[in-house]
Amino acid sequence: GEDTRPDQNQVQRDVSVPQKVHTKTPKSGKEGLLELLSSIKVDITTKRKPRHSTRPNSEKPSTKPKPVHLESISKMYRNAVVDASTQSETLDPKVVSAASAAAATLPNSNQALNELLKQLKENELVTEGQKRGNVNNLRYCSSRKIGTDPKRQNTRTVEQIHHDEGVPGYAQTGVRPEQDAPKHSAVMFSAPPTLWDIDFVQELATCVDHMPRNGLQEMIDWTKDGRMWRYPIDNEAGLEEEANVPFHEHIFLDKHLEKGFPRQGPVRHFMELVVVGLSKNPFLTVQQKKDHIDWFRDYFQQKKDVLKEADVFLQ
Amino acid sequence: MVPSSQKATRCCIKMAASGRHVGQYFKRNGRLLTFNLEPSLSRRSFGWTSSRGQVAADANKESDENIILPRKKTWSQVAVLEALSSTVGRDPTMYNYRFQDDPFLSPRSFPESKLFSKAQESGKAAAKYFIDSHPKFFTKDFAEPHIPCLMPQTVSVRLEEVSEEALKERISLRKVSAATDMYDQLLQSGTNVSMETTHDLLDLICLYCDQEPGQEVEPQTEDVEPAEERPRVRGRQNRERPEFTWRENNNAERIFNLLPHRDTRCYSALIRGTVKHKAYTKAFSLYTDLLNERLTADVHIFNALILAAPFVREKYAERWELMEELLTQMNQQSVQPSLLTFNNILKSLRRCDSLARSKSLQILSEMKAVGLVPSLATYNHVLGIFYKTSFTAKKTNILQEILSELRGKQFTCQDPDDVHFFRTAMKICLDIKDLELGYEVQRLVEVGENWRLLGNDSQSTGYYGVFFNLLCMMENVDGVLKWYKHLVPSLFYLNSQATRSLFQALDTDSRLDLLPLIWKDMKSSGLDKFSDLVEDLLTLMAREEHSPEVSGRS
Repeated sequence: GEDTRPDQNQVQRDVSVPQKVHTKTPKSGKEGLLELLSSIKVDITTKRKPRHSTRPNSEKPSTKPKPVHLESISKMYRNAVVDASTQSETLDPKVVSAASAAAATLPNSNQALNELLKQLKENELVTEGQKRGNVNNLRYCSSRKIGTDPKRQNTRTVEQIHHDEGVPGYAQTGVRPEQDAPKHSAVMFSAPPTLWDIDFVQELATCVDHMPRNGLQEMIDWTKDGRMWRYPIDNEAGLEEEANVPFHEHIFLDKHLEKGFPRQGPVRHFMELVVVGLSKNPFLTVQQKKDHIDWFRDYFQQKKDVLKEADVFLQ
Repeated sequence: MVPSSQKATRCCIKMAASGRHVGQYFKRNGRLLTFNLEPSLSRRSFGWTSSRGQVAADANKESDENIILPRKKTWSQVAVLEALSSTVGRDPTMYNYRFQDDPFLSPRSFPESKLFSKAQESGKAAAKYFIDSHPKFFTKDFAEPHIPCLMPQTVSVRLEEVSEEALKERISLRKVSAATDMYDQLLQSGTNVSMETTHDLLDLICLYCDQEPGQEVEPQTEDVEPAEERPRVRGRQNRERPEFTWRENNNAERIFNLLPHRDTRCYSALIRGTVKHKAYTKAFSLYTDLLNERLTADVHIFNALILAAPFVREKYAERWELMEELLTQMNQQSVQPSLLTFNNILKSLRRCDSLARSKSLQILSEMKAVGLVPSLATYNHVLGIFYKTSFTAKKTNILQEILSELRGKQFTCQDPDDVHFFRTAMKICLDIKDLELGYEVQRLVEVGENWRLLGNDSQSTGYYGVFFNLLCMMENVDGVLKWYKHLVPSLFYLNSQATRSLFQALDTDSRLDLLPLIWKDMKSSGLDKFSDLVEDLLTLMAREEHSPEVSGRS
């Protein structure tokens, strides 16, 4: 009965079941069961086929999956990920049907079917558990898995080490650990790295052959060092802080002239020219421009007496 | 609604097809479109633009299938270069890329290549030394944007006063004796040094065994070429730091004993230092002190002690018992084992011959159960245990299992012993004379960046030498020649051993007409100086009458 389902609509993850089960030649249930059991490699099955109601006493979970032919492929793929966990306890329905056929030959068919299914399920669970690593019978290690330590709040990857602690005084010529740093995500340090950690990382870096094999890899090394422009070329590379400064702070510098300078007269005129010049200067940072104006402020304050004598310093 | 949505769909598709047609289509069917769009006006929409029809059509389509918007991709800085370099790969016809400078200077043989690498590195080191020691000549910064790695680095100590800041500076500059002196001065002046700085100081002294880093066994004066910046030479097998032995009562121990309150990190520094510098009994006595003070050890202490265990006991069973004891204590103190722990266990198991095999498999399964992925070093130790003698080698096929498990995987270096794996595996293939396994190993080396894990020059030359030997022994001459062209001279320089195997291979397949080519390569790589090799070549040539083409007679 189950051979008539359309195959192309199903997400089949269990590839180990041989194709000959799909043939329509009738076999005894026992032969089919034995064949299946010999060829089964237990896998996470996400077979979702329309289940016939003629199967007696099956121990499947109560949630029946929706008929597959109405759903789109994309939804199936998405849901398959979710369902894999919930349906990992389902047995392959082919196995179940074969088991029921086999049980039908035995005297006490219901009980036999239950026992068969229970055995198969246990088998599956055990192999699943061992596949994932059975944590129960460890002798030396506590059963908590590595990496689930809640104390690891402050992990810093090795990449950060090489940005912050450039190993001064111990020149690493020709050894460039930065290249391997991103790959060391497995080597994490929960506290600021100690000398031992840095030493270990350096040792690892010397073990690996990091030399470039062609000119482009050499250019990659140089880019990571910071010696080369980054592709695609960005004119404003290296000017990240300047990108945050809005343009009006460069151009409208009159507000710095409000305090400390006279409002009229040659001094003011001069300072306005200075401000115009600075506003057209693309090479100084805002802070440098402010410092420039501050210097003039101090200068004119110092020379206040001379200017007052010349009647120039109008306040 | 159906007809209008169909029309809207149709016009939507047409709009999507080409932009040039849009305007024309609108001109033709403008009124139709606006008529069709009227019903959709009643629905909420975002603007009176012509894309409204598209929005309506999309809303209809959404009920049929979910539209998955692709996520925006961010590319790394070097993505373009990496893509380009993946198209170029390695050039097998030339010497290794790093030797391609002046063709006259290209190294032709392995000793020459070592010299070349040393010269290259020492040149870079000399330049760096000058920049660092005379920064006043290198003040002008031409580069835009700024290149920090070319700027002079601080090498000399700046803070002179007796303070904790000065001590921290000396520690960060790795000046062992200066830091110790500063610490003593601080103690004498009565200032309290913070626990963290003390930890760092102990780490520094124990790491370098109370010697200056980069120093030879006999101390050098400073005007000889850079004492602290000895170049990390490639091709040298032993590591740069010479092996020092831990002296009794050196500064580390003295400072340690003076500390009023010792915590786990102090013990950790001392134990790791003693194990690193081969004072194993001292390490264990420190550990008993730690237990007496009822402190919990950390994973580094256990790693170090496991390494030290085979050296403090004589009998194999006792060694294993000691390790087992350490592991149970580790469990009791709830210290999580790391990859290094397991690797060290296996490394120490190599010294416990009889028990090793069964225990090693147990260790492997526990490792997987805890969730750690074994690194190449793990497999290296396992191979070392199982293939210890040629007798045991016949009884196991664990190499095959390991290789089938590792097929197609890419590795990073997580343990300094990772680099020995490929050489060990290939050596085993040579011993059991299995060419298929050899090809498996080579395939694993060629996956992604695994070739980087072949180690430095000597180690990779060793690997390729063994591989070439295996090929010459087992493969027919066409295969040998194919690999010869692939490997020599870009990855592997011919040495006398390889040449002899090559002669043998040519002899067995009676392709002696290829001898002139081999002779040409021998001459260019300097192997013609070995008279016994030349004699072998000449005997092979003289053995039979060759065709006039080969013998050069017209």
